Amino acid sequence: MKCAFCGHEFDEKEARQGCGACPGGCHSVHCPKCNYSNPLEAKLIRKIRSLFTRNDDQGGDGA
Amino acid sequence: MASCCANQTEVSNRGDTLKRVVLVGNPNVGKSVLFNALTGAYVTVSNYPGTSVEVSRGNATIQGRSWQVIDTPGMYSIHTITEEERVAREIILHETPDVVLHVLDARNLERMLAMTIQLIEAGLPVILVVNIMDEAERMGLKIDLNLLQERLGIPVIGAATARKRGLDQIRSALASYASGKEGAAPMQFPYASPLERNVQEVVGLMKGEYILSRRALAILLLQRDEEIVSLVREREGEGYAAIAAKVASISFERRESFHLDLSLERNSMVRNLVKGAFVAPDTRVVTWSEHLSRWAVNPLTGVPLLLLVLYFGLYRFVGDFGAGTLVDLLENRLFMERFNPWITGWVKEIVPWEIIQELFVGEYGIITLGIRYAVGIILPIVATFFIFFSFLEDTGYFPRLALLVDRVFKRFGMTGRAVIPMVLGFGCDTMATMVTRTLETVRERVIATILLSLAIPCSAQLGVIIALLSKAPGALAVWGGCLMLLFVVVGLLATRVLPGDAPMFYMELPPMRLPQVSNVLTKTYTRMQWYFLEILPLFVLASVLLWLGKVTGFFEKAVDAMTPLMASLGLPRETAVAFIFGFFRRDYGAAGLYDLQTKGLMDARQLTVAAVTLTLFIPCVAQFLIMKKERGWKVAGAIGLFVSCLAFGSGYLLNQVLLITGLLT
Ligand SMILES: [Zn+2]
Ligand SMILES: [Zn+2]
Repeated sequence: MKCAFCGHEFDEKEARQGCGACPGGCHSVHCPKCNYSNPLEAKLIRKIRSLFTRNDDQGGDGA
Repeated sequence: MASCCANQTEVSNRGDTLKRVVLVGNPNVGKSVLFNALTGAYVTVSNYPGTSVEVSRGNATIQGRSWQVIDTPGMYSIHTITEEERVAREIILHETPDVVLHVLDARNLERMLAMTIQLIEAGLPVILVVNIMDEAERMGLKIDLNLLQERLGIPVIGAATARKRGLDQIRSALASYASGKEGAAPMQFPYASPLERNVQEVVGLMKGEYILSRRALAILLLQRDEEIVSLVREREGEGYAAIAAKVASISFERRESFHLDLSLERNSMVRNLVKGAFVAPDTRVVTWSEHLSRWAVNPLTGVPLLLLVLYFGLYRFVGDFGAGTLVDLLENRLFMERFNPWITGWVKEIVPWEIIQELFVGEYGIITLGIRYAVGIILPIVATFFIFFSFLEDTGYFPRLALLVDRVFKRFGMTGRAVIPMVLGFGCDTMATMVTRTLETVRERVIATILLSLAIPCSAQLGVIIALLSKAPGALAVWGGCLMLLFVVVGLLATRVLPGDAPMFYMELPPMRLPQVSNVLTKTYTRMQWYFLEILPLFVLASVLLWLGKVTGFFEKAVDAMTPLMASLGLPRETAVAFIFGFFRRDYGAAGLYDLQTKGLMDARQLTVAAVTLTLFIPCVAQFLIMKKERGWKVAGAIGLFVSCLAFGSGYLLNQVLLITGLLT
């Protein structure tokens, strides 16, 4: 994902464990570069999105 | 060339298993994107030894060969000025790159080519990446990359790394460098005769082995680059005296004209280079986002723009619409008129004990107070705030705001970087306090923590207060003025009192763009979801505690104890309740104030004094705990005490001023 503050692109999984200090559990993905807390996409949204995304959006860099 | 040989020997000493490529270029040309594309996931980011500058390193496998990729901080020239530039040059000087990848922005090709010339002149193995080609093409710029390659004598690759364009060419250019296929001697760029003669005179005296070419070093010596001076002094030993004398005599002879001559010469070199290779349309198309970006960063236009953003975003949208219209709808129409009477009747019917009825539907009942505050007052306010916040975030405005405020924040011992916690503080101070750990120095962290706990209201509190005060003309201005004044005074004082220097700030600006509705909505939904998960239990707990306080009579005693304090601020006794709420959560306190105003218990002056005191007043429990966790008991305790005294002191003073001047009456 891309940090909404500094534009740094990073792997979501890498950053997720990075924080652990947000009150009430961390619900955000902290940018490894600037530590801006990007909101972690809610499950509901993720599901809705997966219904609408076409295949070409999910290709990643495999191709 | 001696420099090249020196380079080669060191390379072969290291063995040819691990090649090294260093990315250099101005800030904001897409280096980081290219870095990420080359390296993938395995990246380490660490401070460069002895500095606060971060350098990213990662590994890449290119055509079967392992590479180390180093991303350097932005630099404008080999003649370094900032700490970032010094670090970038240190890396070139001491990490003996096999390839220096100079990334530049195609839209500003002419301005940025000067550094390419410097890199070639320094004898470095340069590959030029002309990035952001897609934007340049959209603007109608035509760039002849082949002609440029021919004139520069180094590989030139057109790319749009954000769109993964040109990556393969970059990889194969790296691979052919590694296998020694790129043997062609780089171009020489001679200067006009007097300048060229001066450079040659200095070069002729140099004997040592260097990574940068003697020619480049001679020019840097003539520019009085201190690090290069000491490097040359060290390498040349006894011969240095002659060089120093030569440099001094040339400087004397040319007076100050050396820098000017050099830059004029380089400009004309670049002009020759791009002649026919870079064609801009007659009327250059400047995209609206470039305009906006420039306006946002320039203080003359940036400050009015910020005020506009705040007026329409916070005042009109969050204040008027969210905290006005929507709260009225939910709180008054739904809760007060319909839901509360209904649930109260219902609970009283099925629960026989009054004390339990009170717990749920009483004055401080979980449902009639806790849920009502959360859903009726806080929900519409944070919803509108998060929409506004996510919208701004999506435009890419925040990093520009950081640059804009950098020069102001410097006076407070912070850098523009501190805008991140400050901006987040308007969302929730608790979260923001935690984010202060991203600031570079302990001093900056402490200052930011103080300012956060003092003068930055969180979103819900802000919304409620704006809604409250916008009904009394002038009140909002007085409130805003007081906060600004304290922010500035405390910031300035903190810088004086706390030891240490303000660190440097540097940031690459991602492009500005039109926000996408889906992005804004999903972010808003996500933020609201976790916000509610977090606050609902707290509101319920606070209600229970308040109920306990009421049942045991403790609450009454606390209000009694605070009555003299409230009286000294010129506030009615009931305001103590809002302050006690505020201790649980900032927004809870503000909601309490909202309640009091609805009941008609306060006039404009009292409202303003209460709002100022409550905003400044001690951070909520959660923020205090995070402060303790981040800064330790001593610092957190000191900040808490300081902030509370300052809050009530300011409230007292403000009340006196308002009474004497008769303002707001
Ligand atoms: Zn970031
Ligand atoms: Zn977190």
